[in-house]
Amino acid sequence: MTLESMFCTRCSEGFEPHEKIVNSNGELWHTQCFVCAQCFRPFQDGIFYEFEGRKYCERDFHVLFAPCCNKCGEFVIGRVIKAMAASWHPQCFCCQLCNKELADSGFIRNQNRALCHSCNAKVKAQETGRYVCAKCHGLIDEEPLRFRGELFHGYHFNCTTCSVELDSTAREVKSRPGYAANDMLSYLKQKYNNELYCLRCHDKMGVPICGACRRPIEERVVTALGKNWHVEHFVCAKCEKPFLGHRHYENRGLAYCETHYHQLFGNLCFICNQVCAGDVFTALNKAWCVEHFSCTVCDQKLTQKSKFYEYDEKPVCKKCYEKFPSELRQRLRESHENTLKKPV
Amino acid sequence: MSKLKKIVEEVKDIPNAELDLVDRGISRLDDIAGLYQLTNITRLTLSHNKLTGLPAGLANLINLEILNLSNNSIVELPISLSSLPKLRILNVCINKLSSLPRGFGAFPALEVLDLSYNNLNENQLPSNFFMMQSLRALYLGDNEFEFIPKEIANLTNLQILGLRDNDLLILPREIGQLTRIRELHIQNNRLKILPPEIADLELLGSKSVLKMEENPWVPPIVEQYLLGISHVLKYLKTETYKILYNRLAQDFRNNQPPKADRRKKASRAR
Repeated sequence: MTLESMFCTRCSEGFEPHEKIVNSNGELWHTQCFVCAQCFRPFQDGIFYEFEGRKYCERDFHVLFAPCCNKCGEFVIGRVIKAMAASWHPQCFCCQLCNKELADSGFIRNQNRALCHSCNAKVKAQETGRYVCAKCHGLIDEEPLRFRGELFHGYHFNCTTCSVELDSTAREVKSRPGYAANDMLSYLKQKYNNELYCLRCHDKMGVPICGACRRPIEERVVTALGKNWHVEHFVCAKCEKPFLGHRHYENRGLAYCETHYHQLFGNLCFICNQVCAGDVFTALNKAWCVEHFSCTVCDQKLTQKSKFYEYDEKPVCKKCYEKFPSELRQRLRESHENTLKKPV
Repeated sequence: MSKLKKIVEEVKDIPNAELDLVDRGISRLDDIAGLYQLTNITRLTLSHNKLTGLPAGLANLINLEILNLSNNSIVELPISLSSLPKLRILNVCINKLSSLPRGFGAFPALEVLDLSYNNLNENQLPSNFFMMQSLRALYLGDNEFEFIPKEIANLTNLQILGLRDNDLLILPREIGQLTRIRELHIQNNRLKILPPEIADLELLGSKSVLKMEENPWVPPIVEQYLLGISHVLKYLKTETYKILYNRLAQDFRNNQPPKADRRKKASRAR
């Protein structure tokens, strides 16, 4: 190609020898002609945008042709989402309820809002009063299956053991037997390894059942009275407060807290009428605090080894008994002998 | 006496002290100098002495919780005793009481009252005797009761009722309302029948006592008694017994067995 046959694409003039020529995609330009079609200024950093055969600087191209995002008002360069009669950056076109990006997942127009599938389903469910399946976003007509904190149609899942299709009675197992529930590793396993089982298989796995609520125990198990209990369900039979590791007292197959056990089953001190703290003396169908066990006539302390006589089912020390009127002692002795002779 | 004075001096400044004056031949409390100033003491034990009465000044001891007057010769109690605000246990067993002062039942906090081995009967009880709602144990054994007033039903906290060695002819049906009773001593009386309501009480547990020996029980009760207390209580619940009871309760005054001979009782000695 000779200089005579070369012409500027813009002004169609020829080029001077030694003149600098711009070559862009095979088209030739005077340097003074290679400018924005709008502002006639050279392209900054040589960047230009072409539209219908004309070249524009970045700014003018944006002003003239680039779409504005309906959300942030900035120009949209690159991928433009055309939706709801407007243009959007992909990251600006979001569900109006949950703010999830909708560019790739698709959206549903709901009362002139763009909603993701699940929000749309939720809104619809709120209107109809039914649950929405977290998997298919359809409404759930029957009882929902609760799993990992969400609601599903049971038929999306199969029993981990026998593969039978599940329904709402399926049981979620957080920790498989053998895991200690309190260390971090098994906590993570619990969190991510939840599995679903049909009732039959679940029962066979030996997950302990709470003796109070009859539900499986997935956290700490309290074993007492020959049964397993949720920690919060193992309670005093009288006040129904959980023992939470405090000592419990058993009577006739029921567990009681210390206060109510003593209140109901007697260990109130005959003298102070308070629950016997610490060791207890029991004799003559009564109980005494160790420091209150004393002769009822002279109020002197009795010990475990002290010999005492029974007077109206109360203890009387030997010294006092010997000071009783002899007539009384004789009668007490006689009736004591009569009692011994009595058949049981 | 100076020895007693020394004992009083010793406990004077000890908070919540307990004072033992057992078997010291004391016949007059007024002789013990400084005794009525011991407002700090919570227990006063005067067993085995020679007291014939109590001075009203004893009521100064406002912190007393336990007053033990066992085995003295007390004929009369002062009414001021009933005003002791904290008194929980009063033991006057083995004395010579043939009456109680009017208004005796005014104790605000009394829990245990032992009046056994005295000369009391139902006609000597003051009218407010059964108003002592805080009572959990009442011992009236070795006295001269022929009847127990039906007002006993007011003692709703009563757990122990001792009526051994009296002249009781019949028990009031109201005893069945004392639902907290765990001990009932009625041995050595003149009882032929028991109110059917007794069977409603919890007298069978491991902490319960029903002592009923030495009474002229009707033969069906004796039969059951030979099998055991539980059989007696079961029998009392039957319709057969209720019919028998209704019939016999009409004429329990007839054919009264003789009263016990109390001439040798120390409480009668002059």
